[in-house]
Amino acid sequence: MAPTGVPAKRILPQKESTLFRTILQQYETKQHKKALKSCDQILKKFPEHGETTSMKGLILTNLQKKEEGLELVKKGVRLDLTSHICWHVFGLVHKTDRNYEEALKCYAQALRFDKDNINILRDASNLFMQVRNYEGAQDARFTLLKLRPTLRQGWLALAVAYHLNDRLEDAQSLLMHYLRIVKNVPDHDVEHSEVMLYYLRVLYDLKRWNDALEFIDLNVQYNSIIDRVALLEYRARVLSALGRKDEAEEEWRRLIKQNPDCYEYYRGFLSNRGIDLDKLTDEIRAETLGLFKGFCDEYPKSTTPWRIPLDITSGDEFKELVKPYLQKGLTRGIPSLFADLKSLYVNSEKKAIIQEVMEGFKDEYRDQSNPSKVADDASPAEYLWTLYFLAQHYATDPSTISTSLSLLDTALEHTPTLPELHMIKARALKRAGDYVRASVNMENARKLDLQDRALNSKSAKYMFRVGMIEEANTLLGMFTRKDTRPASDLEDMQCFPFLIQEGDAWTRAGRLNLALKRYRAVDKTYDDIEDDQLDFHAYCVRKYTLNAYVDMTFYMDSLRASPPYERGAISAARIYVRLHDDSSLVASSIPQQSVSEKKAKKKAKRAELKVQEDAKKGTGASDDKAEAPAEKKDEDPDGMKLLTAPDPLEQAAKVLRPMEHLTVTSIGFWIVSFDVAIRRKKYLQALKALRHAKAIAFDDAQLHTRILEFKKTISSLENLPSPMSTVIAEALPELFPAESSLEGYNSDYMQKHPGSPGAILGGARGLVVIRGAAGAQEDATELVFQLLRDETRLDIQTALDALQFLEQELKSPRTEEFRSACSRRFPLSTTFLSAEEQAAVRTEMEKSAAPEESKPELDSL
Amino acid sequence: MRTPPRISLSSITPSNLGTLRKLNSVIFPVKYSERFYKDVLLPEAEDFCKLVYYNDLPVGTICCRIERSGPEGEAKLYIMTMGVLAPYRSRSLGSEALKQILASAASSQKPKITHVYLHVQVSNDGAKRFYERQGFVELKKEEGYYKKIEPRDAWVLERKTWSDAPA
Repeated sequence: MAPTGVPAKRILPQKESTLFRTILQQYETKQHKKALKSCDQILKKFPEHGETTSMKGLILTNLQKKEEGLELVKKGVRLDLTSHICWHVFGLVHKTDRNYEEALKCYAQALRFDKDNINILRDASNLFMQVRNYEGAQDARFTLLKLRPTLRQGWLALAVAYHLNDRLEDAQSLLMHYLRIVKNVPDHDVEHSEVMLYYLRVLYDLKRWNDALEFIDLNVQYNSIIDRVALLEYRARVLSALGRKDEAEEEWRRLIKQNPDCYEYYRGFLSNRGIDLDKLTDEIRAETLGLFKGFCDEYPKSTTPWRIPLDITSGDEFKELVKPYLQKGLTRGIPSLFADLKSLYVNSEKKAIIQEVMEGFKDEYRDQSNPSKVADDASPAEYLWTLYFLAQHYATDPSTISTSLSLLDTALEHTPTLPELHMIKARALKRAGDYVRASVNMENARKLDLQDRALNSKSAKYMFRVGMIEEANTLLGMFTRKDTRPASDLEDMQCFPFLIQEGDAWTRAGRLNLALKRYRAVDKTYDDIEDDQLDFHAYCVRKYTLNAYVDMTFYMDSLRASPPYERGAISAARIYVRLHDDSSLVASSIPQQSVSEKKAKKKAKRAELKVQEDAKKGTGASDDKAEAPAEKKDEDPDGMKLLTAPDPLEQAAKVLRPMEHLTVTSIGFWIVSFDVAIRRKKYLQALKALRHAKAIAFDDAQLHTRILEFKKTISSLENLPSPMSTVIAEALPELFPAESSLEGYNSDYMQKHPGSPGAILGGARGLVVIRGAAGAQEDATELVFQLLRDETRLDIQTALDALQFLEQELKSPRTEEFRSACSRRFPLSTTFLSAEEQAAVRTEMEKSAAPEESKPELDSL
Repeated sequence: MRTPPRISLSSITPSNLGTLRKLNSVIFPVKYSERFYKDVLLPEAEDFCKLVYYNDLPVGTICCRIERSGPEGEAKLYIMTMGVLAPYRSRSLGSEALKQILASAASSQKPKITHVYLHVQVSNDGAKRFYERQGFVELKKEEGYYKKIEPRDAWVLERKTWSDAPA
């Protein structure tokens, strides 16, 4: 007898009904082809059977027949609207499509018809986690726990859901019950240990210090928490929080003894004594230094107790400490010594002291009678590391780069085989604006050690900067998979630096389609990373790694605030804004191809096809070949679809949106957000962007021109809807003083920052905003030329920006004049030369880099 | 106070060939042919072609080739180049490198290496003294050995692979 309430059309005869259950099993075990055959068998007799239709659709989507499959899945739902199987299948298909909200709706439908279905509940609870609907996850897991109270994972899954849903108290009591109930835990059970550590974390987050301490001490005694270090770290923190200072201090000291290089332990130790390294009075500073002296005596070989005092001292005291620190680094030959100390350079006094000490070492090591040689009793390696350090030191300041370069010449004569020296030379030249020679030097470094991938990537990076995009890809290809192009392998490997460097290179070359292609790949990769969480919602509970899981969840929430996303999103949005402003850029992004270029392209395509075929042959003709997911074909290899997308501003808004609610510290993000918002006529969003930007850097030049633009746009608007106009009217005065005129505001800004190149250029751009490019041309050009005055501290980047502004926005006739003036202003640079001149520099460099050629060849060997 | 410097040797590979080229170009007055750079990568040469490191800095090189001589498959080891960057000389890098090469030669079975020899330009007294301290003796003077550098004559120095001579 069929159960009551089941519609007649769903019931199958016994034979088919058994077959249907087989289908479900076959699907679970991924025997898709067999399952498909079984489906057809049933459908032959019962073509209107909804559940079988759905299953067939689901199986087809797994066999790369997505559209056909989806049709069937939808048909299945139509045929049997009250079947939980049909809705579940529909949900699964949405889930595979990353359409989580839709999938959850389907699950909700499915649960209406089978409210205690464990599989669906479990699936739904994990999807709720994925979309951060903690309330939903909590409810689903609560139901699950009631249905299966004997399943351990059910308890933990619910506890985590409580925790993330800010119901720590409930998480705590649930876990407490769980720990009481669980029986027969073997000794040293890692999984149980993880759960207890998680419970401890919950107690700690609840600030229930006494309970936490009791729990810790019990476990210290019974050894049931295996991660002893974590346990003792909690103990130290809890004792500190309880104000039991002496015991806490003992615990911190024990931790420091275990790992004397952990900054956190020293911070914890000090804060237990009420000392905050970031806020020291003179008296406490003396006490702190005394404490570190003690640690240095105790742990002479570790670095941290010697390094922290350098942050908190100054003057002679600093000098006394930094000298032995430097000496030790040079003797050990630590290549990262400079990188270690660079953070001290924000203090110019410390920078000067380090320079003095290092110059002293340099003189000491040199042979007094022959300054180009090392003294007999000194180590040549130490002398070399001294030169290396000083070269980096002088390269931090544009005015001393020539000193750095001459030190590097000495060092390279001394030891020409140390790749680091060539790298620093490349970096110094880069900072001097000589990107061409920089690239040649980085390539010299790479040639010394071809299997060093860091050198390889650096050299490619420097090539991208001078527009050698193809050459850079060839280099990178030495380390990527051989059966695909370097770019696609690096994208698969989620290599953000590559995507951004090449995107920047294409932007500079005006190939906006390819630039967008790379920048949007960054965005896509972040989608992938977010989707990767999906498996962990179930996996981490099953494996009991709850601490790591909770950490991951928090980390993922601010994932897109990380620098690569920011760089990619800002760069892409800037291009979209340019495309919106000037649609002719679409045409100019595609270079006119000559016949021979077309031929070359065809040839490349054929070669690629061949590679793919070979790869296919290589995998062999196994039976499940058809079931293996086929290599995804790139639908838009040249980014043309991205370039010609109908609404660039919408695209821009889309890439920027995920960052809006995160803590963004870069002003560039808010500037481009403004640019997008004002063009989309979203004036409140524009206002918000300006306020954020102002909070980051109130006198920024980019912000200045945006404020002008905002004021001008708002003034020109009539009848804004009332709530909006009120908000703007209230907020505007804090950005733009009511009594100012646009011109007056602009000149005030420049007067407030005399001699600042950024402000001068900002003022020139401001004129364009106020009067339009044609109207401002003469005056703005005049302002740009003020950059060249001696008293202006012009830097290379501003000069490049100014040049671009003259050329592209003002279309000024004096562009060339400015270019050659910059070239004279920065004699070391090559970036103001034309492409041909740069190529000539490179050829000449490469020739002179091979002094070998002038030597006689040894023929007798 | 100071810890003694670490001296170590590592094999030449296609990847670090650039370092070898750089060293050769700085240390020696002649240019080596592409043939030379091919030969140092031969599998049989691996134990006899090395970069020499001083505290992990590549500052020297020694490159030899095996020359079959006897009918029994016996062979001689010919030192093609040995050199150290100027600032690192007189710090035992050369003798340490040579010691290790001689040890490899002594333990080589296929082929058995009976002798180690080399050419030294007649103007290079320092080098000659160095090799003599290492147990090499002058066999003869080869006139006009060098075609493109002056002086053109060279001494041939040789020693047995196993010797009772110096420690």
